Amino acid sequence: MEKSKFVGLRLTPDEEGLAEELQGLLGLETKSSVFLYALQQLAVAYDLIPGERGKVYHNDWRKTVNRLAELQEQAQAHARFLEKIKNQSEGMFNDMVEMIKDVDTIVDQHGCDEGRLIQILLDIQRENNWLSKEAVDWVARRLEIPANRIYHIATFYKAFSLEPRGRHSVAICTGTACHVRGSMRLLDRVSQALKIKPGQTSADLKFSLDTVNCLGCCALGPVIQVDDEYYSNPSSQELEEIKEQCE
Amino acid sequence: MLKNAEDLEKLRNELLKDKKKEQTQIAVCSGTGCRANASEKVVAAFRQGLQDLGMEDEVELKNTGCHGFCEQGPIAVILPQDICYLRVKEENVEEILEKTVRDGEVIEELLFEDEGTKEKIIEESKIPFYKNQERILLAENRKLDPKNIDDYIAHGGYRALSKVLQEMTPEEVMDQVDKANLRGRGGGGFPAGKKFRTTAQAPGEPKYVIVNADEGDPGAYMDRSILEGNPHRVLEGLIIGAYAIGSSQGFVYVRQEYPLALENLTIALEQAREKGFLGGNILDSGFNFDVAIHRGAGAFVSGESSALMTAIEGWVGEPRPKYIRTAVSGIHGKPSNLNNVETWANIPLIMDKGVDWFLNIGTENNPGTKILSLVGNVRNTGLVEIAMGTSLRQLIYDIGGGIPGDKKFKAVQTGGPSGGCIPTQYLDEPIDFDNLSRIGSMMGSGGMIVMDEETCMVDVARYFLNFLKEESCGKCTPCREGIKQMLDILDKISQGKGEEGHVELLQELGDFVEEASLCALGTTAPYPVLSTIKYFQDEYEAHIKEKECPAGVCKELIAYVIDEKLCTGCALCRKNCPSDAIAGEPKETHTVIQGKCIKCGICLEVCPPRFAAVKKEKAGKKVLVEEGGN
Repeated sequence: MEKSKFVGLRLTPDEEGLAEELQGLLGLETKSSVFLYALQQLAVAYDLIPGERGKVYHNDWRKTVNRLAELQEQAQAHARFLEKIKNQSEGMFNDMVEMIKDVDTIVDQHGCDEGRLIQILLDIQRENNWLSKEAVDWVARRLEIPANRIYHIATFYKAFSLEPRGRHSVAICTGTACHVRGSMRLLDRVSQALKIKPGQTSADLKFSLDTVNCLGCCALGPVIQVDDEYYSNPSSQELEEIKEQCE
Repeated sequence: MLKNAEDLEKLRNELLKDKKKEQTQIAVCSGTGCRANASEKVVAAFRQGLQDLGMEDEVELKNTGCHGFCEQGPIAVILPQDICYLRVKEENVEEILEKTVRDGEVIEELLFEDEGTKEKIIEESKIPFYKNQERILLAENRKLDPKNIDDYIAHGGYRALSKVLQEMTPEEVMDQVDKANLRGRGGGGFPAGKKFRTTAQAPGEPKYVIVNADEGDPGAYMDRSILEGNPHRVLEGLIIGAYAIGSSQGFVYVRQEYPLALENLTIALEQAREKGFLGGNILDSGFNFDVAIHRGAGAFVSGESSALMTAIEGWVGEPRPKYIRTAVSGIHGKPSNLNNVETWANIPLIMDKGVDWFLNIGTENNPGTKILSLVGNVRNTGLVEIAMGTSLRQLIYDIGGGIPGDKKFKAVQTGGPSGGCIPTQYLDEPIDFDNLSRIGSMMGSGGMIVMDEETCMVDVARYFLNFLKEESCGKCTPCREGIKQMLDILDKISQGKGEEGHVELLQELGDFVEEASLCALGTTAPYPVLSTIKYFQDEYEAHIKEKECPAGVCKELIAYVIDEKLCTGCALCRKNCPSDAIAGEPKETHTVIQGKCIKCGICLEVCPPRFAAVKKEKAGKKVLVEEGGN
C-alpha cells in the first residue's frame, strides 16, 4: 500500500520532549510513529477499529513516564542486589574451595598420614590463624578419622584455637624468671591497655592476649612479645607506642 | 655426597686449608636472647660496614648460636684476639670495625667491667662468668655458623661418627657409653648406656631413637641453645646412638615455641642428607638411618616420655602407665630409646675424645658437665656449663656475680616446676644428680632460679602449683584433683585466710599426690610446696597467724602507704596511679585510698628516692582494718 506523507505539525518544546520520551518508551523509530500510535489508540478507545488497548493508558502522561522510570530504577536496583548476592556467595564458595585446597595441600605434604595429625593441624593453624569447623571436618574426612579426635587435640594443646585469633598476638611471659621480676604487674597493665583479658581477642580482631610460660629470654624479664618482636618491661607510654605501631 | 670416611677427611682438609690464613673473625651471637636485643640489626650493620670499608674478604662475619651471657647481649667476639664486646648496638659497629678490626685498638666502653674491682676485661675467656665454667658442649657455639655444615665439619664434626662406623661394633659403642657413666641429662640421671642396651635387646622391629627437645620448664632454655647453636652435634649423637641400638628411624620432638631451633634443625637435617650422613649406606658402612621432626603443640606434660611417644603417633600427648618401659615398648609398641638433647650431644664427644677424658670431668658418680640456665635475681643471667660437683655458691657468686642490688640470697629453685627450693645453708653443696635429690630438690633439666630476700616462698609454691594445675592432663585423679586442692589452700594462705592446720593438710595431700599419681608430673608436683614448707615454714606461719607476708609480695596482705612527714606533694604518684587511688592537692601531703588501691606498686616506683615517702606495709591487713577499707 502506498503511504501518504504526514506533515504540518508544529510542537512546543514541552510537546517535543513528551514525544521523544514516548518514542523511547514505546521503542518506536520516529516521532511520527508516536502520533500514529496515539491515533490508533484513540480509535481503539472509541471502538472505531478492533484492537487491544495499549498498556499506557493515562490522562497524565508525564506522571506515567515518571512512574515507569521509577519502576525501571527499582528493577535495576534489584538486579544489582541479586548480582551482589550472587558474587558474595560465589566469593564465599570460592573461599571455601580455597580453604579446602589449602588444607588438602597440607594434608598431602604430610603424606595423608594420620600419625602426622598434630603436625597437619599445626600447619593449618599457622596458615589460617585458627581451626575452623570446615577445616576440622575436611581433615577428618581426608584422614578418615572421627572429628572428635581432632577436637581432643585442638582443646588439649595450647597452640590451637577454635576461634579466629587477632591479627597481632601479644604474649606476656609468665615464666619463673619473669614472674620473680614482676610479670604479673606487666600483665595487668597490658590487659588494661588493650581492654582484654589473657586468652581473649579484641572485638575488632586486632589483638589477642595470652600468657606464655617461658620465651627463653629470661635475662630481659619481664618480657612481652608482640608478633615477632620482644620488649623488655615497657613503660605505659612505650606500650601505647607499641600499640600504635600495630595496624 | 660423601661416599666414605676418606671423602669426609678430604673435605675436612680442604675446608681447613681455606681457613688456614689468619683471618679475623667477628662472631655475633644470634641466639634468641640476643635476637630479642636486636642482634640481627647489629649483624646487618657489620655486613654493611665491612662492605663500605672493602674488608669483606679479609674479615669473616659469623652469625653464631648462643654464647650464654644473655644478660649482656648482643655479644660480639673478635677472633683470634678473643676481644669480647657486650651490649653492642648498631651505632657501635662502625667504631668497632675502624678501631678494633682495622687498627687493633680496644674500645673500653664495650668491655666487661668487674663490679667489684672496676677492672675492664678484654678477653672473653677471662670474664668471671666464663672463666669459672667448664664449657665442653657450649664452647663451640661461638665458633660455628649453625646453618653451615662445613663449619661443623671443619671443627672436627662427624669424625666420631666416621670412627664409630668404621672401627666399632654396636656392642663396643654401648660399652663406651656404659664406661663413661653418662647419665640422662633430662633430669632423672638414668644411665644412658643401660637404656641403650635395654632397647637394643628388646624384641621387635623397627626400633626408634628419639631426641626429646620439648623443653617446657619455665626458666630453662639450654636444650634450645644447643639445637639453635650446634644442631649437628645432637644429630651426630643421635646417628651414633641409632647405630649402637640398631635403629633406622629417628625423631626429634621440638617445641613449636622454638622457631629458630626448628629452622636450624631443619636446615641441618637437609645438609646432613646432602652430605650423606643420613639416608642409605651411610659412609659406606651399610647402615641406613633417617630422622623426622615432630613439633610439639604446647603442652608441658607431652615432654614425659610415654606422652611424647603418644604424640608422635598422632594422638593427644597424655602419659600412660609404664609397667613396661618405653625403651621396650614405645612408639607403636616398638622399642624406643628417648634421650634429652644434652645427653645426645655428649655422645660424639665421648666417642671422639675417649672415655677417660670424659671421666676426668666432674665427679666419680656424676662425670661430665651439666648446662644450667642461671636466671632470676642474679647479676649475670645466662646459660652456664659447669663440671658436675661445682658448688651452688660457686655457681651463684663466682659465675653469676651474686644477687643484684646487694640484697640477700634466699633460695635457689632447681629442677623446674617439680623441683625444690634450696636455702642458704646448702650453698656449699656440690651440684650433681644424687646430691640435689638428697637435699630435697632435683637436677631436673637444669633450670636454676635464684631468689632474693624479696621473694615470697608461699607465692613461689603457689606459682609452680598453678603452672602444674594448668599443665596436668587430667587423666588421673590424684594429680588433677590433688594439685587443685593444694592450690586452693595456698590461695587462701596468700590471701590471709589461712587457718591452723593448713600446713599439715598440705603435707598430707602432698604425700598422697606423690604416692598415687601416674606420671612424673604428678608424683613430683608437690615438691615445690613440700620443700618450701620444709625450709621456710616460718613464712607459712607468718601468713597464717600474723596475716603478714614477710617478703611483701602477696597482694592481699600488703598495703602501700605514704609517710606524711616525708611526702612533699610532688603529685608524681597521683599522676601515675592507674586506679585514681591517691588523693591530695599539689604541695600538700598525699594519701592512698586503700579501698581503690589495686596494689600495682607504681607509686612506690615513681616516688623520687630523695623523698622516699611511699612505703610498702607488710602487715597490710592492719592498715585496711584501721581505714575500714575492703
